[in-house]
Amino acid sequence: MPELIYIDPGSGSYLVQVIIGALVGVVMFFKNIKMYLLSLFRRTPKKQKDE
Amino acid sequence: MNESPRAIPSSYRDPAGFIFQQDGQVYRQVNNSGQAGYEALMQSGLYNFLTAKKWLIPHTERKDMVADTGAFTVLQPEQLAFTGYAYEWSFSMLQDAALLTLRIARAALDHGLILKDATPFNIQFHKGSMILIDTLSFEPYTEEQPWIAYRQFCESFLAPLLLMHYKQQQLPSLQLAWPEGMPLNLVSKLLPFKSRLSMLTYLHIHLHARMAAKKKGTIRQKPVLPRNKLDGLIRSLEILVQSLRCSNRNTTWGDYYSEAAQRQDYLEQKKTLVSQWSRELDGIKTAVDFGANDGTFSLPLAERSIHTVAADGDAVAINSLYEKIRGTGFDHIQPLIIDFTYPSPAIGTGNTERPSFLQRLGKRDLGYCLAFIHHLCIGKNIPLQKLAELLADSCHILIIEFVPKTDEKVQVLLQQKADIYPDYHAAGFEQSFSTCFRIEKTATIPGTDRTLYLMRSK
Repeated sequence: MPELIYIDPGSGSYLVQVIIGALVGVVMFFKNIKMYLLSLFRRTPKKQKDE
Repeated sequence: MNESPRAIPSSYRDPAGFIFQQDGQVYRQVNNSGQAGYEALMQSGLYNFLTAKKWLIPHTERKDMVADTGAFTVLQPEQLAFTGYAYEWSFSMLQDAALLTLRIARAALDHGLILKDATPFNIQFHKGSMILIDTLSFEPYTEEQPWIAYRQFCESFLAPLLLMHYKQQQLPSLQLAWPEGMPLNLVSKLLPFKSRLSMLTYLHIHLHARMAAKKKGTIRQKPVLPRNKLDGLIRSLEILVQSLRCSNRNTTWGDYYSEAAQRQDYLEQKKTLVSQWSRELDGIKTAVDFGANDGTFSLPLAERSIHTVAADGDAVAINSLYEKIRGTGFDHIQPLIIDFTYPSPAIGTGNTERPSFLQRLGKRDLGYCLAFIHHLCIGKNIPLQKLAELLADSCHILIIEFVPKTDEKVQVLLQQKADIYPDYHAAGFEQSFSTCFRIEKTATIPGTDRTLYLMRSK
């Protein structure tokens, strides 16, 4: 409905969305790897036993 | 009854409809051109979803009303108690408004609609949380269409948030300089180099700014963005906004009360007196607390269902008040960053789009001005007479604390400047305030030289 657009979306902003849309998948992929690697080095908190 | 409808100057941009006032109520007309978007909102189930989550202001349809001939229908939304603007919000307020906007955008997509604008002016702090007030912000989603409001979101939400994240919190007034959003090429230059190392900041701001500078002019062919990528784009914004933290540089007032608490039981004594006096007053429905800090005195008023505007010039103090009350259903308090000596002006086309703070405030039933007068009169050189006139315009009943020159806090203020305030003493204060007010009660706060007054405007 382009006739209802009343704000200027900006042509550069349209293009950058396409680039980011494609990159986000890649970024998320690496973020997941990073989180996984970090989790290997992070100690999992052990439950303290009540004495 | 039967006052003629008066269009509100802030809503002329969107051709889908406009806001008008009639008989003290605010209504929204849906124009014929906004019919498709409105019907899609109602029929897709999105309206029910958003109002159930308290993300969108609920309304009732008033088929019996029209403001002008282009009307499809008229909506009567739940009424707001006060209107605040993003340039008066603290970091967390803007962050929550941004997250709300993104969540709504994703919910809209799930229902086959798209959020067509993303400006903080469409969000209000209402009944204890942020809520979208523009019912006409939606239109049917066309498959593979990019997000029209993406640039607007980056400029008006992301840019100020990032600046506050990387620089400091005292920056909300930047939005007063750029109410429609900050130019991305400027933001890109203002942000420190390390912001480029954050992948999402790099993409949404720095790369975005570069592309926008290159690609000026009309779009020859609209780029294609599949729905899952659009969802990913919005999700990435959400992750970025969520990761931002306000830079925790201590301001003058950020820990005022924890510091004041060390001064024996001064605060407790003052609380008891103020609360006793304000409880004895009848018919108080609205209040303003000037120099509210983190809301120590505003919150008890709000608890008594008195709608209280908690105004303070300190962004950190207002932020901590907001964080205390958000999501708690505290619906009678409005925290706002307002510098008493520079309250928000009227801005926008014809200076009428966004009224000034004092216009919006009007004259409240009750006003507090506690431990604040010395900062105004000695810190900012406001004459006592002028201050009395200003306060008399803002409230009918005033509870004010006079802090004399003998007080250690005033001594600190006077260390750096000459004592050019010969009339700044209790008698001078009473004389000046008596021109605008009738003094009804006075009490010395035990253990201090400070005096509390209760007065009624003449």
